[in-house]
Amino acid sequence: MTAMLTIKNLKYSRNQRKILHDVQLTLDSGKIVGLLGENGAGKTTLMRLITGNAKGNGTITINGVHTPVQRKAHVSFTDHLNGFSTGQKINQIKHFYELVYPDFDGQRYQELATFLGLDGQQKLAALSKGTREKLIIALTLSRQVDLYLLDEPFSGIDSMSRKKIINSIIKWLPETATLVVSDHYVAEIAPILDEIVVIKDQTVLVHRATDDIRDATNMDIETYYEHLYEGGTDHD
Amino acid sequence: MQFDDKVPIYLQIKRVIYQEMVTGQLKAGEQLPAVRQLALNLTVNVNTVQRALSEMITEGVLTSKRGKGNFVTEDQQRIGALKTQLVRAQLSSFYQALRALNLSDEEIITSVQHYVQRRGSQDDGHVND
Repeated sequence: MTAMLTIKNLKYSRNQRKILHDVQLTLDSGKIVGLLGENGAGKTTLMRLITGNAKGNGTITINGVHTPVQRKAHVSFTDHLNGFSTGQKINQIKHFYELVYPDFDGQRYQELATFLGLDGQQKLAALSKGTREKLIIALTLSRQVDLYLLDEPFSGIDSMSRKKIINSIIKWLPETATLVVSDHYVAEIAPILDEIVVIKDQTVLVHRATDDIRDATNMDIETYYEHLYEGGTDHD
Repeated sequence: MQFDDKVPIYLQIKRVIYQEMVTGQLKAGEQLPAVRQLALNLTVNVNTVQRALSEMITEGVLTSKRGKGNFVTEDQQRIGALKTQLVRAQLSSFYQALRALNLSDEEIITSVQHYVQRRGSQDDGHVND
């Protein structure tokens, strides 16, 4: 087991408001990690800090490299397709990815797109929430990197799309790569998670293996997660 | 496949495979699907499948052949022992539950006999309980 992501003393504020502080986190390679926390807890911010899209204080190391530019080559994150105009077709977005990322694997994208039922001629504006998330998954997993980040891919989508997305993760996530997937409702993805990381009170409250939680507490992951909020005062 | 999220998933995967071995769905010497395929079939993490299989290899119910994959043991006795073990585990929790209701050993045997007889006659028709 080798550390693939190491975060030390990470701090981030925006408009004088503390968003994250004292974040310490080490993730091993070859894991699927659930990043949990309430809406606004700082999950997306943490992902943007990891990719270097946001600047905080502290050190973030991915497979030995520190600078944002170097880190970007090791991490795949599609920030909600924010940069694309709604008139663009799926194939145009894919083409953009091919141009921008030398590690983009067109063959893998085709397999994923076929599996997920993506139609390259469809425009971004015409995509349902589920299809949009499927496109994000296909684009994100088609890069060949060490770390993949998915920001709430399951929020507001139907169960069939969810199942497809989960299966594409199991099928295409490289064995030695680590995937961090954020969600505020863990029950739907608990069976595929190796570990959970819970963000609460602007920092990492818990980082624990899921089967260890089940074994030690006899609780399902959702209940354990909810308990962290009910018993919140114990941690002060 | 639906898992009980309160129980470690690797234990539940082991149970599924034990069950298939004991009932003959997986035959002695048969090759298991690849780890990733098993993970897809069960909708679980590849590492979790790997952990379950590793433990079963250590237990001797599976054998791993390098570069070929994982196989059910060809040792019929080992599978027989596994079945005994599974039956005993079921009986043990069942026995404890009935003892907890203050039934004596004799009462347990009698009620099991009655139950099986009633069950047997119902099975000719349609049982739905």
